[in-house]
Amino acid sequence: MKEELLSLVNGAVKRAIELGFDEAAVLSVYRESTMVKFANGEPSIVQSWSSNQMSIYVSKEKRLLGTSAPASSLEEAYRMLANLGRISAKMPPSILYAPLPEPRSVEPLSGLVDRKALEAVSDPSRASEVIVEAVQRRDIESFAGMLQISYSVKALATNTGSELAEDSTEVQAYVRAFAGEGSGQWAYGSRTLDLSKLEEMAETASDLAYRSRRQENISPGKYNILLSPMVAGNLLNYVAWMATGSSVLLGQSIFINKKPGDTVASEKLTLMDVPRQPQLPGSTAFDDEGIPTYNKPIIERGYLKTLLHNTKTAAKLGAKSTGNAGLVFPRVWALSVEPGEMSFEELLEETGNGLVVTNNWYTRLQNYVEGIFSTITRDAAFIVKNGEIVGAARKFRIADTLPNLLRNISSLGKEVYDIYWWEVEIPTRTPYILAKNIGTSKHTA
Amino acid sequence: MWAYEDLVVKAVEYGGKIGADYVEARYHRLKRSSIASRNGGVIGAESSVSEGIAVRVLAGGVLGFSSTTILSREGVSKAVEDAFRKARAISGLVKKPVKFSDENLGRATYECVEAVKASEVSVEEKISFMSELWKRVSDAPSDARVATLTSFLRESEEVKIYANSDGAFVRSRIPRLSISYNVVVTLPSKGTIQRFFSHSAVGGYELAEKWRILDYLPEDVKTFEKILKEGKKPPTGKPIDVIVGSEIVGLMVHESCGHPSEADRILGREAAQAGKSFIKPNMIGMRIGSEHATVIDDPTIPGSNGFYLYDDEGVPARARYLYKEGLINEFLHNRWTAEVFGTHSNAAARSAGHWGEPIIRMANTYLKPGDHSFEELLEGVKYGVYIKSYMEWNIDDERWSQRYGGLEAYLIENGELKHLIRNPVLELTTKKFYSSIDAAGKDLRFYAGICGKGEPAQGVPVWFGGPDVRLRNVILRVTGE
Repeated sequence: MKEELLSLVNGAVKRAIELGFDEAAVLSVYRESTMVKFANGEPSIVQSWSSNQMSIYVSKEKRLLGTSAPASSLEEAYRMLANLGRISAKMPPSILYAPLPEPRSVEPLSGLVDRKALEAVSDPSRASEVIVEAVQRRDIESFAGMLQISYSVKALATNTGSELAEDSTEVQAYVRAFAGEGSGQWAYGSRTLDLSKLEEMAETASDLAYRSRRQENISPGKYNILLSPMVAGNLLNYVAWMATGSSVLLGQSIFINKKPGDTVASEKLTLMDVPRQPQLPGSTAFDDEGIPTYNKPIIERGYLKTLLHNTKTAAKLGAKSTGNAGLVFPRVWALSVEPGEMSFEELLEETGNGLVVTNNWYTRLQNYVEGIFSTITRDAAFIVKNGEIVGAARKFRIADTLPNLLRNISSLGKEVYDIYWWEVEIPTRTPYILAKNIGTSKHTA
Repeated sequence: MWAYEDLVVKAVEYGGKIGADYVEARYHRLKRSSIASRNGGVIGAESSVSEGIAVRVLAGGVLGFSSTTILSREGVSKAVEDAFRKARAISGLVKKPVKFSDENLGRATYECVEAVKASEVSVEEKISFMSELWKRVSDAPSDARVATLTSFLRESEEVKIYANSDGAFVRSRIPRLSISYNVVVTLPSKGTIQRFFSHSAVGGYELAEKWRILDYLPEDVKTFEKILKEGKKPPTGKPIDVIVGSEIVGLMVHESCGHPSEADRILGREAAQAGKSFIKPNMIGMRIGSEHATVIDDPTIPGSNGFYLYDDEGVPARARYLYKEGLINEFLHNRWTAEVFGTHSNAAARSAGHWGEPIIRMANTYLKPGDHSFEELLEGVKYGVYIKSYMEWNIDDERWSQRYGGLEAYLIENGELKHLIRNPVLELTTKKFYSSIDAAGKDLRFYAGICGKGEPAQGVPVWFGGPDVRLRNVILRVTGE
């Protein structure tokens, strides 16, 4: 499959240059995927996908054009290029133009394909049974969730000489369990199918549901809040996305007026983009411009270390590509938060009087530049008094600013979790994170 | 235009042959083109085609779905086999087999026709529009600076060919135009104001002029500057009257009537994703608001962003009265939920592309207008706030506790608009909102959005709208406190 795709993308690059484009980068991705969705304690649908999508980037006299379409033959690729040719002459030069980079040596990333995951793409029934069994070990009333297993092959060619291919498997799963007034949700993402990890994920969800089955109201105000990896993952996804060069250029970032070296968070926080961590989905050896990826801190000990760039945003903002190219805008591959030294019990003790929030959703910003946001709790939230969990809280909002949240991080757990789901779209490895004196809100009536 | 029709028909036949109890196939193509600009300069142009065939089967009481972009007899046959085989393999875990309601299904072809095809308008003209917008917007403020204006002009064409083993056969073509922007106005001593907004509707390039963005956005930017300079803290802590602008009313009815009325959500099918509903299956007829709370979802509004005449199960579309005069009146159904509730589908099954199963979605959701002019709404307020537009919003996953961060808002005193206020927050329960409406304006306005739901997440175009409404005795909050 790799050879077949490489031949396809090379043929498309060749034709683009023959048609008079100055540059071309062509990426083709073949994907087979299966998803079992659960609701009310049983499968609600089994879904399968088989796709072959080609994305083409070309430039002519600094005009930028891109296209994507299903393409499994050169004829289809040629049609896509002909369409681009028709509009290119009418475009002005792009404000983001920078030449495609020269090819560099790319160290392949091993461990991206797992045989068990590959087999489960055709038959996910065993993994599904494991989830159904594990989630019901606690006294819960029902559960819902999802298991998706995928196999992908991608191939990239550029006119500058890059010819790269990579295949990978990916597992994404989450469960939400319900008990009484309570619910618990947990998620997992990996390159490998490890049934014991799926069991752990399902058990965590049902345990949280069980422990939050009786709830009480809390008053809105400032609290010390222990953010679970689900919540930390969600909020740090926003922070990382805001650290891309395109977010800064398009006015959607708290880093607009910051430069590398500025303090943007507590010294306790180190947030990395980790494309070369093969256990996390999102990991890859090369970006969409053929540049080798590398792990890098976005925030290191509280300092903004680097924004994430492709060649275009890097040129515009006076930096160098960080190997984060999508074909037009940079992307975040996968995130990792450097763990701290505390056990969960020690974190509770450090929380003192406050809250543990295990899951949230619907994070929205009033203002991306100032980072004013709110997000609403979704599942188990616990009340902490004198360092111990004493009850579960009904839904409320965390309502504050992202800069304040980052500054007020005081401690991190030593155990990390690999989170990947609806609200954490960038796979994220993170521990529990304690942020102090954070605003909360609740409906007035 | 109707290429691949034969593959759709053959897929349905083949599914029946291999033993599926029900089969449907949908060829679904979305062609999109867009131009992006920042501060008057062009970033680039992009086009994409999302095209494939979706197959859904019932086997052993389990729904199986498969999608392929390989548009050959072999590719589609494999998709049918995958859907059937994997559904059957997992049927041992199923307790309640899925069944579909009996419906009168459509056999029709329909097409929306643009007055001016966007694809026939020159790239130069589109770019000139974006440059002119930057010029006017950046010139608008006096002391503040427009730090960023990004704008996107998108055109699309959606073509579907749908058939199922119960006899439905529907072909459709729907073109859309969308213009969206993000503007950041900054005054260093006072901070920033940010506004995201999208126009989108079914039609062609004629809409670009109709939306009058070149006229209103520079005026909006002047207002944003004024908010930065003069905006005062909103009154909080005690109940006041609030006039909620139609832009927010539209979003509120989408979030707190449309979503909780989705019958699949009520039955728990989306519990791990978009969530559950405060509405339980036995709540039809229960009071949720005042007599002014009538919320309608209607896919058949000509030119609307959520327009369709048949849903993605082949059921003919009609207006749905979700809340009627303050009572919960009707749920949004597909054929599965209609069977569970012993009723008929009201054609709410939609899919965002060939890669998505049809699930229950809204189309164009709005609060029924009343009989008040804006001045009459104001006249009834001794002390209160008018919130015209918003930025931040969210709602819990049962659709009960909702929050809207106001962008442009004014204090009202003795029936007159006074000074601007900054960052008021309306944070209240669904019942409190609908119960507090004591008057509704007569002008109905619609706003465009992309509604997300499902796994994988499917974004479908919708409109939401309503008139301005007056709420009595509501406590406001303020962001950051």
